[in-house]
Amino acid sequence: MSTEYMDVIWIVLLAADLVLAGSSRLFHCIRIVALQGILLGVLMLLSHGLSAETFAWQTVLTALIQGGIKGGLLPFLLIRAVRRADIRRELEPFIGYSLSLTVILLMAAAALVFCRGDWLAGRTHSFIAVPAALTTMMTGLLLIVARRKAITQAMGFLVFENGITAFGIGMNLESGFAVEMGILLDVLVLVFIMGITLFHINREFEHLDADKLNELGDLVENQPAPETNRETAI
Amino acid sequence: MIAMLLILLPLAAAAGTYLAGKRQKLVQLTYGIGILGTALLTGIVAAMPENPLCRFYFRGEWALGVDRISVVILILTTLLFLLVSLHIHRWLPMEMAAHAAAHHTRMTALLRPNHLGAFLLAFLAMMLLVILARNLGLFWVALEATTLVSAPLIAFHRSQHSLEAMWKYLLICSVGIALALFGTMLLMAATPSAEDGLYFDHLKTISDSLRPGWFQTAFIFALAGYGTKMGLAPFHTWLPDAHSEAPGPVSALLSGALLNCAFLGIIRFHEIAPVQLRGFCSQLLIALGLLSLLVAAFLILRQDDYKRMLAYSSVEHMGLAAILWGLGAAEITLFHLGGHSLIKMMLFLLAGDLLLGCGTRSIASVGGLLRTMPRHAWLWMAGIFFICGTPPSPLFVTEWMLVQAAPLWLGGLVLTLLFVIFAGMSWIALKMIGGPAAEPTPAMRQAERFWLLPAVIFAAACGGGLWLLWQCNMWVR
Repeated sequence: MSTEYMDVIWIVLLAADLVLAGSSRLFHCIRIVALQGILLGVLMLLSHGLSAETFAWQTVLTALIQGGIKGGLLPFLLIRAVRRADIRRELEPFIGYSLSLTVILLMAAAALVFCRGDWLAGRTHSFIAVPAALTTMMTGLLLIVARRKAITQAMGFLVFENGITAFGIGMNLESGFAVEMGILLDVLVLVFIMGITLFHINREFEHLDADKLNELGDLVENQPAPETNRETAI
Repeated sequence: MIAMLLILLPLAAAAGTYLAGKRQKLVQLTYGIGILGTALLTGIVAAMPENPLCRFYFRGEWALGVDRISVVILILTTLLFLLVSLHIHRWLPMEMAAHAAAHHTRMTALLRPNHLGAFLLAFLAMMLLVILARNLGLFWVALEATTLVSAPLIAFHRSQHSLEAMWKYLLICSVGIALALFGTMLLMAATPSAEDGLYFDHLKTISDSLRPGWFQTAFIFALAGYGTKMGLAPFHTWLPDAHSEAPGPVSALLSGALLNCAFLGIIRFHEIAPVQLRGFCSQLLIALGLLSLLVAAFLILRQDDYKRMLAYSSVEHMGLAAILWGLGAAEITLFHLGGHSLIKMMLFLLAGDLLLGCGTRSIASVGGLLRTMPRHAWLWMAGIFFICGTPPSPLFVTEWMLVQAAPLWLGGLVLTLLFVIFAGMSWIALKMIGGPAAEPTPAMRQAERFWLLPAVIFAAACGGGLWLLWQCNMWVR
């Protein structure tokens, strides 16, 4: 019964990727990431309902925590970081919005073709689950490499991680309650630390452009001399 | 049970150190109890790894414990932490005084001592969890956690550059490790039934029934992911920044302890490879190792920063370790990791002292160390020779074994690159200790007093190398 619902949810997940690739407003993007997180929680619940006759409390708990953290807590942390750094829009991305959209569309098409063979048969409950997960991962990577703001890179990581979780759900892979909670905790702490770092970077550099975070490196022309920490010590 | 304690004790000590706040004595006390207790428990676990008391079972599966490979890395990690903690105990007050003297006008703050202690202990706890974890999912969680708790240590100085290095470290390592999570998921998809789970020892027994296509993809992603954290080229980009910006003792831990832990992930995946894929996995490891060696050789030659030079040397040695493992020489790989950890720790501690004394990381601005900081100059020169594999360094033996075991083209190529690196590093070291010198400043004189610990480590490396050489002759005979 719920297979059709699940197909719809997978398609919404895929559509969210397209919105992410083509949108410049940060708050909007963060809301889309939150939506993806909630969808993942719902999918987790539904997929377990399909494969097991009885509802295990651990499954329900995992799905609830998953949806709660990814759909509520993480977006809240991101929005707080954006507010504190006072940025609204992603300006001048490295890869333009229409081009990003085209790339993601092509990726989605390629993923659909790639997953058409019978090598996935019996492992996944929906023809679109694995392609949607792969596309979400690609979108995350695209956001990391194609955007200028450090905050968008943090968001890209979240989308990438959502994609991996989606892959796990789509393939009915269970790594166990403790491991899934551990992964969620890691992601939560990572976003928390990233938020604090963004605040400090914003204060020190007075901008959040990741491409200007390039003072370190070996292949830069006119490389400045290594920083002298102290002229006179003691 | 003791394995569980081994993780909980440093975590509890980290919390205690954090809560101690500004009470210096209490911070030192909790930190000391944490590190000494961990050392004691490590000793117990290492002495009887087979004992059920030293293992932890979760629902009948072996969840925490050591085998003959991870026990070596366990001992190394705790030993490094113990030595670095000894160094930090004397180094921190001086670093803070120097910082206060230089920045009295600007409002920059270092990481507070209790935060430093807490992050260090949490870092230790997470690394121990990485080493003890028998579940590949738990392994991933722990390795990502090491990134999180060590990131604040890199931004110890809170300067622009260190923040940049910390951001790169967080982002590149997290994305890289996320690839390994995908690899772990693919590994689960490769198992014949959904109930197989991720327990390493179980997977090892069913390795031949893993689906080869899925496993191949899983291994590639795991190699890319854990390779990022381990510093294999071309995923090494975060490493020189993080190692050069972090304070000396932290760099010593990152380079000496953390890289080994990440390598353990690749080792685990390699060990469960089905027989028909062993060759493929080994070839991939050798290819990446060779690439790391190439990148390191090229970039060491054009360095103007002695801490970055050491960081690239870590890339080189991780490459060598990957080649050794790819060639199937497990024991030699462990000897190589041990030798590298000890010598690199000594070099990073020395580099931290040089930075404290001279106030710069630029090779061109540090000159005449032989007159200004003579003990450090001698140790530095000797350490550089040792890390390049001059006998009686333990690395000489392992590199010699590598060249012996490798096919002719590989051995020749590795040897050539090792010579290039040797020439580059010793030229840089000679530039630093020779040349015209000014009168030693008070800072130099103070930093010079920290020579004893590096000297002891050097003596230990020397002894280890001589023992290995002797063993080697026995083997040949």
